[in-house]
Amino acid sequence: MARRYDSRTTIFSPEGRLYQVEYAMEAISHAGTVIGILSKDGIVLAAERQATSNLLEQSIGSEKIYEMNDNVVAGVAGLTADANILINQSRIIAQRYLQKYDSPIPVEQLVRRLCDMKQGYTQFGGLRPFGVSFLCAGWDSAFGFQLYQSDPAGNYSSWKAACIGENFSNAQSILKQEYKDDDSEGSSSTAGTQMTMDDALKLTCLVLSKTIDTAKLTSEKLEFATITLKNNKPHIHIYTSDEIDQVLTKYDSVIKPSNND
Amino acid sequence: MEYNGSAIVAMVGKNCVAIAADKRLGQQALTVDMDFKKVFPMTDRAYIGLSGLATDVKTVHDTLRMRVNLYKHREERVIEPRTMAHMVSHMLYERRFGPYYIEPIIAGLDKDQKPFICGTDLIGCPNFPSDFVVTGTASDNLFGMCEALWEPDLEADDLFETISQALLNAVDRDAVSGWGAVVHVITPEGVITREIKNRMD
Amino acid sequence: MDALFAIAGRDFVISVSDTSNARSIVRMKKNYDKTYKLSSHTLMSACGESGDIANFAEYIQGNVRLYSVRNSQDLSPSETANFIRNELASSLRSRNPYNVNMLVAGVDRNTGESSLYRIDYLAAMSKVPFAAHGYCAHFVYSVMDHEYKEDITLEQGFAIVKNCLKVLKERFIVDFPGFTIKVISSSGIREYSTDDI
Repeated sequence: MARRYDSRTTIFSPEGRLYQVEYAMEAISHAGTVIGILSKDGIVLAAERQATSNLLEQSIGSEKIYEMNDNVVAGVAGLTADANILINQSRIIAQRYLQKYDSPIPVEQLVRRLCDMKQGYTQFGGLRPFGVSFLCAGWDSAFGFQLYQSDPAGNYSSWKAACIGENFSNAQSILKQEYKDDDSEGSSSTAGTQMTMDDALKLTCLVLSKTIDTAKLTSEKLEFATITLKNNKPHIHIYTSDEIDQVLTKYDSVIKPSNND
Repeated sequence: MEYNGSAIVAMVGKNCVAIAADKRLGQQALTVDMDFKKVFPMTDRAYIGLSGLATDVKTVHDTLRMRVNLYKHREERVIEPRTMAHMVSHMLYERRFGPYYIEPIIAGLDKDQKPFICGTDLIGCPNFPSDFVVTGTASDNLFGMCEALWEPDLEADDLFETISQALLNAVDRDAVSGWGAVVHVITPEGVITREIKNRMD
Repeated sequence: MDALFAIAGRDFVISVSDTSNARSIVRMKKNYDKTYKLSSHTLMSACGESGDIANFAEYIQGNVRLYSVRNSQDLSPSETANFIRNELASSLRSRNPYNVNMLVAGVDRNTGESSLYRIDYLAAMSKVPFAAHGYCAHFVYSVMDHEYKEDITLEQGFAIVKNCLKVLKERFIVDFPGFTIKVISSSGIREYSTDDI
């Protein structure tokens, strides 16, 4: 029965579902995990690289975490080939905005434009949706640090801590448990958190150790990035493998017990 | 090219380069702004100076910034001054039959800390001298000053003094440039930026 | 033949424009407002080809408001000015460019700082403490050069405006029927009559 409604993306099934979009999301839930955690003074992004082989040439750059603009960094879960197209377009959108208004694009606007592109492919003829979800971590002067999640349907939402990819529901429940929220109300998105960057890195390591199915976490399988403020300007740092190892050693204590579970 | 008025010069020193520009923006004889930027940092180590029509100074700078930023994000490394010079040259030649009315000069240190300077004409023909480049309405005067003052292997301090004197004395004999100046000396340790006061007439 | 000038203090901008709408030697209207409100804290005044002004200003006004509606956030004065310059610069290299000179004055609602941008018909833009366009520039620039100091108060600003108007009356052969004086500050845009200041 489903066959009749999933050969084309534009057609609803009698139950009101879009199968191709759902399949795309299904594909993502098997992709490498990406975690983002918001703290008071920055955001941590971490991603898992799946299926590494010792024959594979380690690429110089990262393959799951990309800078979209000087103020936005994104983690990718899903088809890397699809992601490349969207990242390239996002970079162009961000630069066009800079050229037009002489100020960096607000994070939400970039995410929205990105999601508009994704949405287009769920509606227009005969094409397959983009098989990628993003976690976009960014900073702008109006709303401070922000973390957005987007899916292949073109929905996006703002989070204090989020996870996409394999085992995401597991990770999310850990995040929900461990995330230190601030009850006091505030106007900016970072006012509601008690987390420091250290807390965020630590929690990231904890979640990674519990969601990634491996004997030992190593820099070979991981990518890390942070966005913080330096001289009141956003500063993106993508970790080298040495720096990742340092982080892993530093938070060894939170990682170890999970391996015994 | 003569409508707004400008004077920019770049010089090579010993392990350093300097680029300096005046600050005037005019509409022919009427001075409109005495703090107009003509030299822009494109990376930590590469500066571009744009002389000529003020509207194109801004347009070319904005377009180049877009391309340099896209280069940075796509290549995951910062652009080299020489690469940027070719990027500028290409950008200008794209408008071969409806050019931007500007003459850019580029100054910077490359990855081996070697000084690099380059000037192009309005349609992007580049030249890579080993001593100095000049551009703008005061370029004739600047040529004379540089020819007289420049010598090889100047240290950062001496280079600053040389380029400042060259620029200040050149703009004093040009009616449509001057009104203050800004000098950047790019060294391996960082960039030293100084504003210079001079005759405001 | 228009008179268009503005003076910026730390947290305000005074914008002055004459109220005469003329074509060649004929005055069409003598209480014409040459300013365009772009947002609650940004004001643009324009002179040049009157058809171009009407069309271009309406286009800018519409797009700046569209941005606010789409993004539930206003453009800052600097973003607005850059947007206008960008639109004018692209029109400059089209088949029929707009002939419009503008002053964009505004107060940034986040920082409270004022800014004044001068954009000519070639889309050359500069951020300045004071500015003028047209023939009147030759008269008022010298007054403003002489009397302007950093961090002037609103009263001092008005005093400079008064002297500018005096010089225009005395030395400029064009007799203006009146002036629109508007002050942009953190509390918004307020209009003053020539007698008030």
